[in-house]
Amino acid sequence: MMNMALDEVLTERVGRGVRPPTLRIWAWTDPCVVLGRFQSVRNEVDEEAAARLGIQVVRRISGGGAMFIQPEGAITWSIYAPESLVAGMSFPESYAFLDAWVVRELRELGIDAWYAPLNDIVSSAGKIGGAAQARRHGAVLHHTTMAYEMDVGLMLQVLRIGQEKLSDKGTRSAEKRVGPLALGTRLSRSAIIDRLVESFSTRYAATADGLLPEEVAEAGRRVEVRFSTPAWTHVLP
Amino acid sequence: MSDDRSRRHGEYKTPGGKLVAVDLRVADGLLTDVQVSGDFFVYPEEAFADLAVALEGAPIDGGEAALADRVRRGFRSGAELLGSSPEGLAIAVGRALATRPGDHLG
Repeated sequence: MMNMALDEVLTERVGRGVRPPTLRIWAWTDPCVVLGRFQSVRNEVDEEAAARLGIQVVRRISGGGAMFIQPEGAITWSIYAPESLVAGMSFPESYAFLDAWVVRELRELGIDAWYAPLNDIVSSAGKIGGAAQARRHGAVLHHTTMAYEMDVGLMLQVLRIGQEKLSDKGTRSAEKRVGPLALGTRLSRSAIIDRLVESFSTRYAATADGLLPEEVAEAGRRVEVRFSTPAWTHVLP
Repeated sequence: MSDDRSRRHGEYKTPGGKLVAVDLRVADGLLTDVQVSGDFFVYPEEAFADLAVALEGAPIDGGEAALADRVRRGFRSGAELLGSSPEGLAIAVGRALATRPGDHLG
């Protein structure tokens, strides 16, 4: 939940100009399902199974689809930038633009990845990950989650994946749609993250940085008043 | 949404796009308690509420073209619906109406 709140806080701060454009690599602590802003809980999640398996259900501020997260199995990053960075681009163009550096880097690591509009990164083995954007206060938040390894059986116990969702995928099995990075590389998860950070830093002359105490405090406050509440998580029951 | 048994549920996935789901009830021949959801994107976020509001109170026998028209007119100008469309929403409503209340609960 702290991750959801930090995304909101940092987007606002970049929009207000009190923080420079930022790349954040997420640290996941618990297994969870992250719902898109406009998804219905009961349509996406078997809440009973999630509770039984100790999997938290949270909602993020961007649209898009539900993600099943296992802390050591996912790589997630956010970019916070002024909207001027994507000025003149359509929404689909901005999605492709803000994921392009990762696709290039994955290919350099020998993974046969490419971008699939609107918001997916895929390989011949299946979907690696997806992106979502929110726009607030003149800033764009672009975050992407990629699967490194995934227990698809566990995912299917928690996520409801109806036939309509697979209707245009040419497959009736959700299992066949997932193509985690570990299928295409022997690099560890942390080695991939290191390579991504290095390539981003080189390309955009970025410097290492940390969260300010006041940013962490503000995010903690928002977890308490909003992101941890049923009024937010179940805003669409 | 407390009484699931009187709800109807319909979904439509735009080929190559996103899924939209509609939950609703019917009272006196009109759509009521409409909830729109899905993995689409709406910019700005506030315009999302327009979708359900536009469908609320629509007659059930007006046809999908009329429903799509309502959604199009109700969606604030300048807003963008990414991955679905007014026509997609209308198809999901049509599918919900083709079910009996509570059907989706299996």
